[in-house]
Amino acid sequence: MTDKLIYLWPEVTLFITTCLVMVLGLSPQAEVRRLCAWVSAVGLTVAAGLAANGEPDPNALLPNIMPFAKVVIAAVGLLLLMLLAGTVDREYEADIESGKTKFNPLRSNRAEFYSFFLFSLTGLMLCASAESLIWLFLALELTSLPTYIMVIISTRGAKSQEAGVKYFFLGALGAAFFLFGFSLIFGGTGATHFDDIADSIAANGINPILTLGLLISMIGLSFKIAAVPMHFYTADVYQGAASPVSAMLAFVPKTAGFIAIITICAAVGWNYGPNHTSLPEGLRLVLWITAALTMTVGNMLALRQRSVKRILAYSSIAHSGYMLVGVIAGPGPVGGSFTSNGLAAVLFYLLCYGFMNVGTFAVLASLKHADGSEADDIDDIRGLCSTHPLLGWSMVLCALSLLGMPPLLGFVGKLGLFTSAISAGEYAIVIVLGLNSAIAAVYYLRLIVTPYLDKPAEQDVLRVEKVGIITRPMVAVISAASVIGLVLVAQPLIEASSRAGVATRHGDVHAVEQAAALRDDINEPRP
Amino acid sequence: MDGCIATTLGAGDPGAYLPIFLMIMGAIGFACINVVGTLILGPRRKGETKGIPYESGMTPVQSARKRFNVRFYLIAMVFLVFDVEVVFLYPWAATFSNLEPQSEQAFTWLVRIMFFLLTTVVAYLYGFRKGVFKFD
Repeated sequence: MTDKLIYLWPEVTLFITTCLVMVLGLSPQAEVRRLCAWVSAVGLTVAAGLAANGEPDPNALLPNIMPFAKVVIAAVGLLLLMLLAGTVDREYEADIESGKTKFNPLRSNRAEFYSFFLFSLTGLMLCASAESLIWLFLALELTSLPTYIMVIISTRGAKSQEAGVKYFFLGALGAAFFLFGFSLIFGGTGATHFDDIADSIAANGINPILTLGLLISMIGLSFKIAAVPMHFYTADVYQGAASPVSAMLAFVPKTAGFIAIITICAAVGWNYGPNHTSLPEGLRLVLWITAALTMTVGNMLALRQRSVKRILAYSSIAHSGYMLVGVIAGPGPVGGSFTSNGLAAVLFYLLCYGFMNVGTFAVLASLKHADGSEADDIDDIRGLCSTHPLLGWSMVLCALSLLGMPPLLGFVGKLGLFTSAISAGEYAIVIVLGLNSAIAAVYYLRLIVTPYLDKPAEQDVLRVEKVGIITRPMVAVISAASVIGLVLVAQPLIEASSRAGVATRHGDVHAVEQAAALRDDINEPRP
Repeated sequence: MDGCIATTLGAGDPGAYLPIFLMIMGAIGFACINVVGTLILGPRRKGETKGIPYESGMTPVQSARKRFNVRFYLIAMVFLVFDVEVVFLYPWAATFSNLEPQSEQAFTWLVRIMFFLLTTVVAYLYGFRKGVFKFD
């Protein structure tokens, strides 16, 4: 446990920042309260720096996942932080400034909002470092519990309270499911450590209790990634929460869920099937059905929506389906490249999805009706390219990227999913994936055509929200720029994700050797 | 490491669970004896005083089914923080004295509990800033 500590400095940094923000945000001085966002930003930057210089853990099942995942989490976290800034307490702070009311810590939500956000990211990073089932469960819960409250306090309306309560109860159901699944995995293998689970499976094979445990935990985890048996909450919760919080919900729990699924699958190993390159049949079938259903249901339901947030919610469901294809494909052959490594494709796609998704939600979060309500309907973004060119083009670029248009980031991500599944021989799911990408084009094109070609609505003038020094339109522009810009530096990112997607236990002799070399390297005293 | 718990417990040996079985039987037996005992031995009187919620406590003033100030819950939560802290401190203190003094292990244990105490201090600070202890 203590020797694991050297990998946990990013989490420790975030935790300390959380504690600091929690106390700072309740200060009677408005200037000190305003520091919250900046302190959080500094904490996240330091965590990203520590994670980037982090050592790979040679004893873990996925030795290189920690540095990559944590840097991605911190980077997207920074983007989300810029977007989240000023979501809560804006009117309350304005009232205090104008002398209407005095500061009452019981009424203020600012400290909680930022510290819950950081808590959630801490949990997410802990998911990436998890070495046992119990650790993984606690990390997943640390990721989710703060988000329930963030949904509720994100707006003052009853809608977000309804969304939060819905989210909480279904989240508790999901947690109960995967906890039960974890307990059955423990029952089937007699171990909670992923290492020991992998050893036990290698020695004794797969027994029915273990299979049942894996299936139930996958169903539970599908809540976190918003996949089919547990996807019902998504649209309502995304619509009910404030747009910045919805952007966070689409990235943070999804990443946690995928890291958990990848870790559990890595403990089982991709050395079953005819070529010894796929998951055991039961687990593979469940993931296959989940992936196919998730894509199809998500895309079909998105077609009929008028609310942009609901479209994005269903698109988030569909993207979970796409990414599950990478998990089914597995890490591919020994020493394979990015094109055959499904895990690398998933990890890279999570990064892409983080940027594209924050971009679209940032456009929505930037616009407000005259009565103060958020932009949500598809009519609200009509002709945005002529009224607010920067926002309009950000929306167009991010939607194009979500669709997977060739020169953009989303295409690079999706390409990896396609090629890895093809090289793993999963042709059927590739066809489903291709068909679904075509269906998805219908509603993404609405998000592209409406701001670009349609005439702006005349009666209701939307105003652009400006909060603080870093405004929300800036976040939209940064995301849109990253959608293009990250393609230019895609090569190092792809290499990093390929390294991160190496699993040591699927018969990859090369990886085992590499891990052993690393272990020797670390154990040797440094000059 | 932790993964060996199941094998050391002896999942295949039902005899290992005999003490637990005896404990459960003892608990059920104790409950049954008490219920049956009061039925046989206890006197039966009825009346107004007998019917109030706390027979030997204060006389209730009004119904408890009304809204409470949110401070009660905040205080309850702060109490919980310290309660849990004490629950953890007892086994820690009982084990810590068995560790070899000045050893590396003892140091690790000390750091761990210090970190745990730090988290509770943060919770306390948060409660303090939130104004939980302010009564006006």
